[in-house]
Amino acid sequence: MAHASHALDRDMMLPPAEAETGSGVYTEKLGMWIFLLSEVMFFTALIGSYLILRVSKPDGWAAPNQILNVPVTAVNTFILICSSVTMVKAYAAAADGNQAKLKLWLVATVLIGATFVGVQVFEYNQLIHHGLVPGGFVAGRELAEAAASGAAFKGGPALPTSGGLYGSTFYTMTGFHGFHVTMGVICMIFVTFKAFQGKYTATDHRGVEVIGLYWHFVDLVWIILFTIVYLI
Amino acid sequence: MTSLATPVESHVQAHPDNRSFIQKYIFSTDHKIIGIQFLLMSLLFLTVGGMLAMIIRWQLGYPNKPLPGGTVLPETMAPGGVILPEFYTSAVTMHGTIMVFFAIMPLLVGVFGNFLIPLKIGAPDMAFPRINMASFWVAVPAGILMIAGFFVEGGHASAGWTSYAPLSADPEYTGVTAGQRIWCVSLIVLGLSSILGSMNYITTVINMRAPGMTWFRLPLSIWALFITSILVLLAIPILSGAVIMLLFDDVLGTHFFLPAQGGQPLLWQHLFWFFGHPEVYILILPAMGFVSDILSNGARKPIFGYHSMVYALIAIGFLGWIVWGHHMFQSGMNPTLGTSFMISTMLIAVPSAIKVFNWLGTLWGGKIRFHVPMMHALAFVSMFVIGGLSGVFMASTPVDIYIHDTYFIVAHLHYVLFGGSLFAIFGAVTFWYPKMFGRMMNPTLGKIHFVLTFVFYNLVFFPMHQLGLQGHMRRIYDPTIYDFLKPLGGLNRFITISAFLLFASQLLFAYNFIVSWFRGKKAPANPWEDTGLEWTTPSPPPHGNWPATPHVHQPPYEFNSPHVKESDFLPQTQSLDAIPGRSSAGAAH
Amino acid sequence: MEHVAHKKHPNYMAVFGGLFALTVLELGVAFLPWSKVAIVLMLIFLAVWKALMVALYFMHLRWETNRLRLMIIAPLPLAAILVVAVIQEFR
Repeated sequence: MAHASHALDRDMMLPPAEAETGSGVYTEKLGMWIFLLSEVMFFTALIGSYLILRVSKPDGWAAPNQILNVPVTAVNTFILICSSVTMVKAYAAAADGNQAKLKLWLVATVLIGATFVGVQVFEYNQLIHHGLVPGGFVAGRELAEAAASGAAFKGGPALPTSGGLYGSTFYTMTGFHGFHVTMGVICMIFVTFKAFQGKYTATDHRGVEVIGLYWHFVDLVWIILFTIVYLI
Repeated sequence: MTSLATPVESHVQAHPDNRSFIQKYIFSTDHKIIGIQFLLMSLLFLTVGGMLAMIIRWQLGYPNKPLPGGTVLPETMAPGGVILPEFYTSAVTMHGTIMVFFAIMPLLVGVFGNFLIPLKIGAPDMAFPRINMASFWVAVPAGILMIAGFFVEGGHASAGWTSYAPLSADPEYTGVTAGQRIWCVSLIVLGLSSILGSMNYITTVINMRAPGMTWFRLPLSIWALFITSILVLLAIPILSGAVIMLLFDDVLGTHFFLPAQGGQPLLWQHLFWFFGHPEVYILILPAMGFVSDILSNGARKPIFGYHSMVYALIAIGFLGWIVWGHHMFQSGMNPTLGTSFMISTMLIAVPSAIKVFNWLGTLWGGKIRFHVPMMHALAFVSMFVIGGLSGVFMASTPVDIYIHDTYFIVAHLHYVLFGGSLFAIFGAVTFWYPKMFGRMMNPTLGKIHFVLTFVFYNLVFFPMHQLGLQGHMRRIYDPTIYDFLKPLGGLNRFITISAFLLFASQLLFAYNFIVSWFRGKKAPANPWEDTGLEWTTPSPPPHGNWPATPHVHQPPYEFNSPHVKESDFLPQTQSLDAIPGRSSAGAAH
Repeated sequence: MEHVAHKKHPNYMAVFGGLFALTVLELGVAFLPWSKVAIVLMLIFLAVWKALMVALYFMHLRWETNRLRLMIIAPLPLAAILVVAVIQEFR
């Protein structure tokens, strides 16, 4: 058994030896999981409010693809899932001690993640152009006019006249998700730099696993969001 | 999995300490320094909160009369010293906000969570020292921002510390613009600090307990801080989400809580109180933990019913999530929902009562030492009982419909928050002061401060039960506008005078705190003859806390142990085998 | 220096394939001419399946200790309680 007085001699991917049995996982991983629990509650507040408000709204909600662009977002969902795959492949490479693959997959994750954010920004631009803002429909633009006309719109029934809740909930939920992805990309860039400095080994790649957990979580939230915001 | 063989070199101590002054005391990653930083910041905010209370009390005791010395206040707050209704309303709002978020919560969790957890579990520091440092330095701008709100045009937030929508969501209703937004942003930033902190505390307690420090050997202060941290971790994000939505309603034109385009004001109340109820348990659980430690020490007896104390903490922590509707009985909420909240609220009295009986059981037959922390701990138990009993009244929906939003509620919350939490804080600060600063606080001053505080505090808050029952509502600026409140003017004046005397008495504590830092009696390692791990290292402890990881052999609270003859306590690190002259039988359990 | 046993990695590409297939399925279901309730139930089912796959395989929960899994699951009922209780308010 490795003498634990030189902390870096031991496999850092295991819990510390000089302590009572705790969670059974090393401290940084435990810390990230616990932080993610707080994020679950944060998104519960936003997504839960959306569900509650939608159930309570008397005059209905727009149908899928009437206001939001489902095809583009579906592709974007696929893009984010791809970045999750590259992330987990980076982790596998780190565990194998394969420095070249680690760097490759990390860079890929950064680029694909940034692409996701870019497409979201593009989507926001489109929506504002069509007249959906956090406050609802902008008078005089396409969506407001369509709602006012009471006519069937884009393969679905007439738009509800007030887009206030639609805009509020959409922008807040996806906006904060996008914010979390952006923070993730920034942290991922730091991790990538460290990987290029050779800081991650087969016996210590905690940083890669931990940022990976955050990244997968952000993907997980999007899986939920895409379904209940865009498809339902 | 655990190794009880050779103590391991704490790798923190292996390096010489050549940190600069800034690294040691300003941007420190040492949990003890961060705890003290939180202490200084919180005590400052406690003072500000107290001053706001004086403003409230002046107006209620002497309605529309100029506040003595009030001419220093700007015209926008108190022209000629007469407190404006707008300023009064923001004083009420900010008294609550500052006391809850910037005084009591950081005092209980930020100070003692930081200071005590590594020391009492045998760890060299927190799991994430740099995140710990970030947690403090994120709280500082939040605090500065909250204070800045007083000086902006339109004044500070005025919708109550509960900030109900739509009053808070639309500046048209309060006339407050920037102030409410500052309130929102400040709380969002503070929320981040709290979440980072709680993540740190939870991880530390789970993964960094010294060998032998099993879960059921943890002192109750640590159990309480641990459960509290879980509440913080899961409740604060809900507040953050809600406040973000509120801010967006104000500045982005969203409609979460504004009815005009389908928003739901009741949604704010549900979100706020879903956070708010766990929040009040955040504000009491650590206090209960400190009181357990101090009572056991002062009675020289183990805590009565240690295991049931732990289960009671867990039960309170769990039940606290399903009672939030009792803050909303008057809101027009779904009545069936209301009934379920009444039942769960009644239930939560049970584990709290178990704790009270166990404290009494701890005292029974003890050889009581009336040191200053003990006095505060005893006050906690009795005042918490009063506060808890008034809570039972409020739990009953039909009763609450009558007393909601009256001074009966104000009496209840101050009995648990001041009579409970604040007395526990005074006791805890006095108890752990020697470990923090290496000096003792003056006991005579401490006792005088305690007696004066205890007397005046009861004179202030007990009559409020009566005020409430007679219909005196909360947050009202001028009670004399109602005929039925005019007879209560005398009682209001009595409370006001007592409140000023109460505030003045705190100068003794402030003086004691500051002067003892420089001139207090130098403290030995274990001045209270306590069993906890923190007392096995010098006062104050060095960076890294111990030269080698301590090993734990005893449960907490082994006072009056039959295993020791020379003293009346058995430290947690004391192995029975190491006591000379003892028979080798009788292993630690 | 300890040798690290080379564990075989799970088949991440298979999981990726599954996620892709489920997403396509979701898109199909969303625009089917079924009743709203049926569509919603199916979509939620699919979304939860996808989320579980990410959690179990990408986040490695499938191979973590029971203790950790319990810690992570424990707060989820709270989120459910909030949403379910408050929806009652507005029905």
